[in-house]
Amino acid sequence: MRGCSISKEESSLVEGKSDTILEGKGICKGFPGVWEHLILDHIDIDVRAGEIHTLLGENGAGKTVIANCLSGFYMLSEGQIYVKGKPVTLKSPRDGIRHGIGMVHQELALVKPFTVAENIALGLPTSDLTFPLPEVEDRVRELSEKYKLYIDPLARVEDLSAGEQQRAEIIKVLYHDPEILILDEPTSLISADAEHLFEALNSMAEMGYGILFITHKIKEALEIGNRVTVLRLGKSMGTRETAKTDKTELVKLMFGEHTPAHLERKPVGSKRVVLEVRNLEALAADEEPALQGVSFSIREGEILGFAGVSGNGQSELAEVITGLRRATKGEVIIHGKDYTNHNPRDIIRAGVSHVPEKRREVGVIEPMTVAENVVLKDIRVSPFSKGSFVNISRVTAHAKEIVSRFGALVSDLWKSQTRILSGGNIQRLILGRETWRMPKCIVAVYPTQGLDAKAIDHTWELFMRLREAGSSILIVSEDLDEIMALSDRIAVMSNGRIVGMFEGSKANREEIGLMIATGASGSEHSQ
Amino acid sequence: MNLGYLWGIFLGSLHAMVPITLTATGEVIGESSGLFNIGLEGIILLGAMTGALGAEVGGPIFGLLVGVVTGFAIGLVFGLVCTYFKGVQLIAGVGINLFAAGLVTFWLIDLGVPGHHAVAEKGQMVDISTPLGDFSPMILVALGLPVLIYFLLYRTKLGLKIRAVGENPQAADVAGIKIHLLRWLSTAAGASLAGLAGAYISIDWMGSVTKEISAGRGFIALATVVFSGLNPLLVLLGGFIFGFFDNLAVWVATMPAVQKVIPWQFVAMAPYVVTLLVVAGVIGRVRFPAAMGIPYERE
Repeated sequence: MRGCSISKEESSLVEGKSDTILEGKGICKGFPGVWEHLILDHIDIDVRAGEIHTLLGENGAGKTVIANCLSGFYMLSEGQIYVKGKPVTLKSPRDGIRHGIGMVHQELALVKPFTVAENIALGLPTSDLTFPLPEVEDRVRELSEKYKLYIDPLARVEDLSAGEQQRAEIIKVLYHDPEILILDEPTSLISADAEHLFEALNSMAEMGYGILFITHKIKEALEIGNRVTVLRLGKSMGTRETAKTDKTELVKLMFGEHTPAHLERKPVGSKRVVLEVRNLEALAADEEPALQGVSFSIREGEILGFAGVSGNGQSELAEVITGLRRATKGEVIIHGKDYTNHNPRDIIRAGVSHVPEKRREVGVIEPMTVAENVVLKDIRVSPFSKGSFVNISRVTAHAKEIVSRFGALVSDLWKSQTRILSGGNIQRLILGRETWRMPKCIVAVYPTQGLDAKAIDHTWELFMRLREAGSSILIVSEDLDEIMALSDRIAVMSNGRIVGMFEGSKANREEIGLMIATGASGSEHSQ
Repeated sequence: MNLGYLWGIFLGSLHAMVPITLTATGEVIGESSGLFNIGLEGIILLGAMTGALGAEVGGPIFGLLVGVVTGFAIGLVFGLVCTYFKGVQLIAGVGINLFAAGLVTFWLIDLGVPGHHAVAEKGQMVDISTPLGDFSPMILVALGLPVLIYFLLYRTKLGLKIRAVGENPQAADVAGIKIHLLRWLSTAAGASLAGLAGAYISIDWMGSVTKEISAGRGFIALATVVFSGLNPLLVLLGGFIFGFFDNLAVWVATMPAVQKVIPWQFVAMAPYVVTLLVVAGVIGRVRFPAAMGIPYERE
């Protein structure tokens, strides 16, 4: 509406506060514990009546935490929330509802075996001995009609589709007549049906609701909403009017200026082969052939990058090498010794580290503590244990070292379950655990997926250091930039075969891209 | 003659179903809220002990109330451990059983005759006499209570809330329900019925307290809960089935003619064997609250 680009301070000055219904000032939220860290670092955010305010950020940026703070699910560590200009303290979701703040959670807060109406009745302030279902059913039909969020109040939640469940959740929140609606990643469950939701939200904004819409998709942030606030690693990167910003600016705010660190690349000194794979074949989980005659070798101090669309055998290849999947044919040779179909422990002893694709399922034991997971592979040996006894102080010191060196955010080494960490933090722990011994060979599958720009740089530098120290590294990635930046040689996989092998220095991005897309090479491998 | 026998067995079964039905009904409330109390056996035993002593002081009705209060008090301790303190429910429950077994054994020694205490005449409950036979007024309570609890759980908002905290505490939390408080009170209310069941056994049914008076009825009640799939109306049916076999064992013990055919010990096994068979038959087919047995934490 007004000229110049609008920063958050200016906008609140210019627009005035008359129609601001929800405002958070200087909101901080921290983990208690050894590594005092702010998940939210002095965030200012405001929602006005009649607008959709988009909160944009990567996974782990702190979007959900803000939503939980503003709705009363979490207590603030610092800062103040204002509702219509009045300071309020929210101690529970009920307080939030009382102040007219309704939140639609990403993981829907519905009791599955209950009907839609029963789920709504749960949160009503009526007497416990009443049974308000008939009124609830009528009101749900009414709200359905009014907001075009059609839902059968008598349907069991577990019988509903994801989109319907979400509608039920929104109706549940609307039932309390909120003035502010917070939606946490509402499109993550219903990507196909998002149009319908956007329409409903737009008409609600027209009716005067203030809506805070949380997403990690830039496209959505540009599509819906009047203003957008970008969050990066717990800090606000500023608020823009949606009409006056564009994709380039939002990307910059979200990820920072990502100029891949210049990676020093010394020539590979040694000719000694560490890992060799000959004519490998294996089956996928569905008994279909996953690998068909795969052969390659990696020398000391060499990075071999596997490019390709996932599902073309890369995961199975990594699993066969690390002993997690049986090879039906062929050989895996480590330091000249045959390790085909040996158990994982033998292969770990042979010096092969594994950064697995499935972090939560394979990389860590989620219910165990951070310290336990960090020392998981080393616990059998001195100094971490002697005989049957674990040396707790050595384990603690080691875990502390790994956690701080790799910048993982954990509240307590021995108390917090690894389950509660974000995927990025779990990956930091895994990278720390797998690389601190400077292993001879590393198999890393999608090592930087879901990490922020800074962490990606760190990880890349880590791999380069390991390379210089003489590790042979196998990296599987879908990110061609990553493959190009790191690899000495690049292999392209398609349908369980290596369809192309390039020298990193001579690799041509377009040629590799084409090969990935078509699954075949133009000249070299024409079969 | 034959019909009279059958009627006698039926009346006996009704008496035997009372403690199982009461205990199981209480446990349905607790398990609906997500707490699993394996200490019912101990609560019955303690309720039998304190109830009997209470009845000797203030009459049978007072004795029953003492049983209820005993159960409620233990339920409060159990609930506190398993909600706010996030204790392991199985262990807390086993603790109750061990505590009760130890306490009652010593208490009986202290009262004079080790292992046995006959409830004084003035403390004993008087049966209602009808032309069809004498029966305890507690039978009416045991038949009526499950219906009442069914209504509470499935036809009131309180019931919705109790079932919600058992099924999806996160969702209940978001709805503004105090998870720990509701679970705590639900399990304590349930335990108070186990206390009542114990008091009924000593004051009314048996007329005495022995150190093994609960005789596995707490566990049979747990089986009844499984059988019912947390439906109090099915608890009535399950309670009668188990009561029938429980009574059968008692009945055979008094019939020399039958004992010549089958040793009474075999019949005495019946309630437990039937429990095994019934539970094996229904397990996997009934659905329990998704969050049962798991302490709630808000991250």
